[in-house]
Amino acid sequence: MTTEPKIIGFLCNWCSYRGADGAGMARLKYPPNIKIIRVPCSGRVSPELVLRTFREGADGVMVLGCHIGDCHYSTGNHRTAKRMPLLKKLLEYTGIDSERLYINWVSAAEGEKFASVIRDFTEKISTLPPFRETMK
Amino acid sequence: MTDRLTSLREAIEAVLPNVDGVLALRIGPGGISASHLFSKEHPEDLAKLALWPKEPVPDTLKIILRAHPDAKLAIVCRGCEERGIVEMFKHAQLNLDNVTLIGLQCEQAEAEFCRCAKPFTVHSKTTVGQSIKGVPDPVTEKIAAMSQPERLAFWKQEFEHCIKCYGCRTICPQCFCNVCTLEDEKWVETGRLPMANPSMYHLIRAMHMTAKCVACRECEETCPADIPLAVQFRLMARDVKELFNYEAGAVMDQKPPQLLVLEEGDYERSGLPH
Amino acid sequence: MKTKNGSRTEVQEKIGVYVCHCGSNIAGTVDVADVARWAAHLPGVVVSRDYKFMCSSPGQELIGKDIKELGLTRVVVASCSPHLHEATFRGACERAGLNPYLFEMANIREQDSWVTSDKAEATKKAKALVAAAVSRVAHQQPLEALLVPIDANVLVVGGGIAGIQAALEIADSGNHVYLVEREPSIGGHMAQFDKTFPTLDCSACILTPKMVSAGNHKNITLLTWSEVEKVEGYVGNFTVTIRKKARFVDEALCTGCGVCQEKCPKKVIDDVFEAGLGYRKAIYTPFPQAVPNYPVIDHDNCTYFQKGTCKACEKFCATGAIKFDQVDEILTVKVGNIILATGYDLFDARKVSNYGYARLPNVFTSLEMERLTNASGPTGGKIVLRDGVTQPKSVGIIHCVGSRDRNYNNYCSVICCMQSLKFAHLVHERTGATVYNFYIDIRTPFKAYDEFYQKVLEEGTLFVRGKVAEVTDAARLPSEEGRLIIQAEDTLAGKQRRIPVDMVILSSALEARADSKEVAQKFGISCSADQWFIEKHPKLDPVATMTDGVFIAGTCTGPKDIPASVAQGAAAAARVLSIIGQGQIQIEAATAIVNEETCVGCQQCIASCPYQAIVYREDKGKAYVNEALCKGCGTCVGSCLPKCISLKHFTDEQLVAEMIGAMHTMKEFELIPMEVAA
Ligand code: SF4
Ligand code: SF4
Ligand code: SF4
Ligand code: FES
Repeated sequence: MTTEPKIIGFLCNWCSYRGADGAGMARLKYPPNIKIIRVPCSGRVSPELVLRTFREGADGVMVLGCHIGDCHYSTGNHRTAKRMPLLKKLLEYTGIDSERLYINWVSAAEGEKFASVIRDFTEKISTLPPFRETMK
Repeated sequence: MTDRLTSLREAIEAVLPNVDGVLALRIGPGGISASHLFSKEHPEDLAKLALWPKEPVPDTLKIILRAHPDAKLAIVCRGCEERGIVEMFKHAQLNLDNVTLIGLQCEQAEAEFCRCAKPFTVHSKTTVGQSIKGVPDPVTEKIAAMSQPERLAFWKQEFEHCIKCYGCRTICPQCFCNVCTLEDEKWVETGRLPMANPSMYHLIRAMHMTAKCVACRECEETCPADIPLAVQFRLMARDVKELFNYEAGAVMDQKPPQLLVLEEGDYERSGLPH
Repeated sequence: MKTKNGSRTEVQEKIGVYVCHCGSNIAGTVDVADVARWAAHLPGVVVSRDYKFMCSSPGQELIGKDIKELGLTRVVVASCSPHLHEATFRGACERAGLNPYLFEMANIREQDSWVTSDKAEATKKAKALVAAAVSRVAHQQPLEALLVPIDANVLVVGGGIAGIQAALEIADSGNHVYLVEREPSIGGHMAQFDKTFPTLDCSACILTPKMVSAGNHKNITLLTWSEVEKVEGYVGNFTVTIRKKARFVDEALCTGCGVCQEKCPKKVIDDVFEAGLGYRKAIYTPFPQAVPNYPVIDHDNCTYFQKGTCKACEKFCATGAIKFDQVDEILTVKVGNIILATGYDLFDARKVSNYGYARLPNVFTSLEMERLTNASGPTGGKIVLRDGVTQPKSVGIIHCVGSRDRNYNNYCSVICCMQSLKFAHLVHERTGATVYNFYIDIRTPFKAYDEFYQKVLEEGTLFVRGKVAEVTDAARLPSEEGRLIIQAEDTLAGKQRRIPVDMVILSSALEARADSKEVAQKFGISCSADQWFIEKHPKLDPVATMTDGVFIAGTCTGPKDIPASVAQGAAAAARVLSIIGQGQIQIEAATAIVNEETCVGCQQCIASCPYQAIVYREDKGKAYVNEALCKGCGTCVGSCLPKCISLKHFTDEQLVAEMIGAMHTMKEFELIPMEVAA
């Protein structure tokens, strides 16, 4: 498929954003589709924000945070780990491919993991039709 | 055996002397029932006591208590209404110190009408009627069994009928906010009908009802477009129960799970990567 | 500006955009000039430049000059990661008179030029990131960091060596310390030891002077036999509730003469200080050099309290200091900083049942061994078997009991190797017995440790490399009769060995305190999976925690030896003193705030805040954020359904604007008027 998926990533400032920086420092290459938005903690990402991002036409949304137990705010990401799976369920119940919403944990040291997570997700989303089109 | 209406009348008469009023339904012109505050000053009102069609009484209770915080009240509530009261209490919208709950158990036909899984009260000390088992919800099951494209097409069509009257939000006993996210341009596009797919209005509302919806089905009843709104709420409620072992309205001092830290096993069930 | 969806008109911001080349780091992959030219057309942008090194002085001056001359109200720099230079550019803005929170950074190096191979793609992505930043910055609000005054008093919890060190450092600087200790005396584990490795100086001799200074110091309030019940407040401003347990001895009257302990008829096995090897009385000081020297009555073992008669101590006390009617006292103190030095618990060796501790009498734990070798211990320093008289002729010391073992603790307890070597030396020196050490690896880093190991080797101690399978008294051969047999695979020789010995010493693991989780919760810090307290940064900030004003030192953060504990105690004190020296502290400006008008008082935010930073005001029926406690995570925002709580600098408007900025340039690669959320 030749579509260029549009992907927005909400990354927590302390782990995942640094992990993304780490990928850069190691000059690891990954597709340019993702645009990263820095949030203090993955717990800051409200379901509304994710939904609005889809409404703008994102084909995929990523929420990346610190590993459970490592959240800079102790348990901010515990809430992420509960809210986001529920939101995925809701997407599913509405007939939207819930794989368009991706949750994972990437630490500041995991530049390698970050790059591969982005590659895999971009590839996965590329196989889906553009989100807007599926909604027509 | 006395019928439910007589039993309920007796139960109300029994508490009336001890309270300032009892909130229940009264039959009005045209067979329409509406909430009414029965009082010892007007015992004759009890002749018009009604059971059905049900009306969202919890909301009325809230309004009365706002105006008269010290009033001693009793309220006749069905299972769903009782759950609604509990949720409002949990969200600090009701003070139950001076409120007596009179539980009204639903009958088979009523439960089937509502496709209700829990047509009975659990907190009320006084109860009227025989409590019966929950009934299946064929509508929800049917939609849950659809394939993803079918579901997408189904909801697209349903939501296209929505005229954005906000009736479902307004009648919901759990929608008590002063300002509503659904009216905020940032989240829900205004001035466009039929609304764009996917409907932000319905997705956000479903997210907000998660761990909060008490399955009273008032929204469905009120919807002029006849959208089976409760289906998504019920599917979400099922997940909340399975993932986090939480049910809205069940326990008085339990907070919604998505606000709290992970408990043993929560993460494993969440389906997130390890 | 008229937005597409709303009719709100905004003051037109004057935005300056600066695209950095970073030498060729960015310019090599991104057409920076093109990005800058393009960005000039974004809404609100009045100047857009590209420059070789934005972080250099001339680069920073460029921004300052434009702020002053063009009256910029917002600044965007597209360069490296904000983790590198956000502070730099915020400073540049501030110096030119622009509030630093009106600055935004687009990360086009780490997240673009370094990770994208194709130049056109990289340039396109840079434009999206710049558009996102421009779109966001227009919504940013000036913020002022809150300053709170620092109460100069300090609470130190735990009177072991780390806590004593911290308390002394702070007290010597002229600030007041409340030193709280759970046991009747300060001193901690170190007071129980005989010799310290590798120097073999007498533990008590080096510790006691410090204990005495802590006890006498005019700036230290010693609260032994006390526990912290509750902590409220935030850095600079904590209110701590302390329970001073009833001693049944009036400290003002007691002279520490000890006659009560002599006369008390009730002997009790001393499980704490003597590790179960010796006795104390029902009224006791844990050891002769205890600080303070007042005894306590052990309520549960006192004949008077249990049977109603006795009062021998009271009869003999010359000053009438015994007070059977004393009750627990609750104290409230105000402090600005807290140091936790709560120490460790010893691994319960009974859990490794195949080593036979508590079943086979002559298996000892390391703590028991410390007491046995101690001249003031139950045997007067004689190393003897459980019968109290027989000297062992051979001794087996097992390393890593409960450490480096998947069944118990994965970690290395750090001190056990050296401790075992110390025991080997002491046994050799005092009994001449043959000593076997069973080890997995010998770990002797740090000053003079390995030299000590060499010395023990030269003394003839035998080393068997292998994890001991079991210790048993089931003899197979006549020579094993009546002895303890240690069965282990000698992994160097590659064969199983059965070594009969008279005595076995288990070098038990150090574990986090059994109640460390509760304690962590009380002080608002976190524990690792192993229950050790977590540092703010394991390398760069080892004594701070994520909670401002709460520091950690010594073994409560993980196993460590005495020098490291002392160093941490002193380090934590230094951190506290630097805060006290500042007089006031700046706290996070990007905190949450409740819209009082719209808040419905549902308290969902309160339940979701990891820091209990939000309180419910009963009188108003609204939530309220304590800015000093709020760390700015924003978790509450996602929990408030009507969106009545927002996080400053990460508001919904800002994040939505940023997302839209990025999305629109992603959609069509051309200029689109920014449609920004109302
Ligand atoms: S009640 Fe029906 S028509 Fe009205 S807003 Fe709700 S779903 Fe739409
Ligand atoms: S931002 Fe985080 S710390 Fe601050 S009040 Fe909200 S949840 Fe609590
Ligand atoms: S969640 Fe929102 S509405 Fe509820 S108390 Fe908190 S700020 Fe107020
Ligand atoms: S700070 Fe990274 S998830 Fe909370």
